[in-house]
Amino acid sequence: MSEPMLSVDKLEVVYQRAITALQGISLGVAPGQIVGVLGTNGAGKSTLLRAISGFHGVDDARVTEGTIRFEGRRIENGEPHRNTRAGIALVPERDKVFPNLTVAENLSVPVASSGSRADMSRRQALVFHHFPRLGDLRARTAGLLSGGERQMLAIAGALMCGPKLLLVDELSLGLAPVIVSDIMQKLVQIRRELSLTMIVVEQSAAVALAVVDYGYVLENGRVVLDGDATRLRDHPDIREFYLGQSSAGGRRSYRTVKQYRRNRRWYG
Amino acid sequence: MQLAVNIAVLASIYALIACGYVLIYRVSRVLNLAHGELMMLAAYLLLTTASSFAGHPLFAISAAIGLSILVGAMVYLFLMRKMTGEMALAAVLATVALGVLLRGITVIVWSAQQQYPATALGLVNPSIALPGGARISLCGALLVACTAVAYGSLLAFLRFGRWGVRMRAAGQSPLLAAQRGINLHAIYAIAWSLSTFTGAMAGMLIALDSGLGQTMTIIGLKAFPAALVGGLDSLAGALAGSLIVAAAEVLLIHYVDPLLSEVVPFLVLIAMLVVRPWGLFGTREELDRV
Repeated sequence: MSEPMLSVDKLEVVYQRAITALQGISLGVAPGQIVGVLGTNGAGKSTLLRAISGFHGVDDARVTEGTIRFEGRRIENGEPHRNTRAGIALVPERDKVFPNLTVAENLSVPVASSGSRADMSRRQALVFHHFPRLGDLRARTAGLLSGGERQMLAIAGALMCGPKLLLVDELSLGLAPVIVSDIMQKLVQIRRELSLTMIVVEQSAAVALAVVDYGYVLENGRVVLDGDATRLRDHPDIREFYLGQSSAGGRRSYRTVKQYRRNRRWYG
Repeated sequence: MQLAVNIAVLASIYALIACGYVLIYRVSRVLNLAHGELMMLAAYLLLTTASSFAGHPLFAISAAIGLSILVGAMVYLFLMRKMTGEMALAAVLATVALGVLLRGITVIVWSAQQQYPATALGLVNPSIALPGGARISLCGALLVACTAVAYGSLLAFLRFGRWGVRMRAAGQSPLLAAQRGINLHAIYAIAWSLSTFTGAMAGMLIALDSGLGQTMTIIGLKAFPAALVGGLDSLAGALAGSLIVAAAEVLLIHYVDPLLSEVVPFLVLIAMLVVRPWGLFGTREELDRV
């Protein structure tokens, strides 16, 4: 692995000075890589992304220990707009578009890290090329878009920031599988054209493992497993808990699954 | 006819003040209850610059306007900046405290007497005859014109200006705006400066028209119902609200009792709050998703 673009070292995040959401998280992202972060609800995936993109005052969250380095500079507890201008753009899980602005206005909001007008219009052309649907809906108010269109607009908005590192939070949330795979495909294409580095956070392991180079599994705010995509795909616990296949490969009775909860020590 | 002219002038006063409330509320969800005091401060600043630059009224006025914009930006930088991310109530209370403070300061510095910046500037305020037998004072006409220009340019700025669109975005979702690279502090500082700028214009023109005293804060307070009736987050609403409140006030004064002047805006406000709490053009606040 070459020099990491982003490196997170023993990160600890505390909400409201009381609730520890992440503990001792370390991960590295090399330029051009797609890194996946998997985990169940409340595992701390979104918190990790938010910590990288920067917390806002009302979040009442802080990085209390550890460091986040982006291209060698420390950015933990940085303001979101600074991190964005440094080249980190986030596609949030919720509130991902400005509902009362039109699609075109939504795309004119971002302050690009490389501020030239020509660069902005080039990006806009790229966005409309890959998401022609947004071009048709230019004058539509964003609040009236469907879930898939909204997700496209959110990705487009993040791309207009001119990022080097794109963080995507729960692309698949609330969308039909066919739309998810469509958008995911577009995203991978765009990534190749712009040579973007990406971190995708997913609950749906099937979606994530199809595209990532390397993955981390989070549980209760800790990394419990990491490895490249093939290693994760073949790991018996991932197969059983995340992909819903039994280790033997055949179908299993639902009863036996519920009967006991496997008490595996993940770490150690 | 004279009634219509009076309504137009009063509505312009209210509208020019109300847009300050709307701008700040729309961008940062904070009610600036010190707006009337900031407006009065601008008028008093005009008094001071008038004595320093006697004989150059335009110069004095622009100096006072520049100073009040500076005051607005400073209020944000030194007071309200600390309040971002805190509860909205704390911020509103801070503006109340600021208002009381400013009232005290103006009394100490400029005394509580009624003063006339127009005479200090050597300006006359002739009344102009309009077709139809109505009359309007020069300052009144200027007020109407200023309000029209201010609203026109504000609406155009928010609709088409790059930073205007960003201001709207920051008002809707501050977090997402920050994640899109927008410096919220800059946006809020712009909003505060714009708001004190329009307030200062209103304050100065009223002071030139009818003199300056502590009662000016009451005019600022009376413009608040106008903003609320229209819906606090809508500029067009503030315009409509000002017309409604001004019309009600002028007509009731004319046909019922001049003493009603102070209470009419608040009667309209209460009636509005009962029927349609979010105002004519305002958006219904959604409940926060937990």
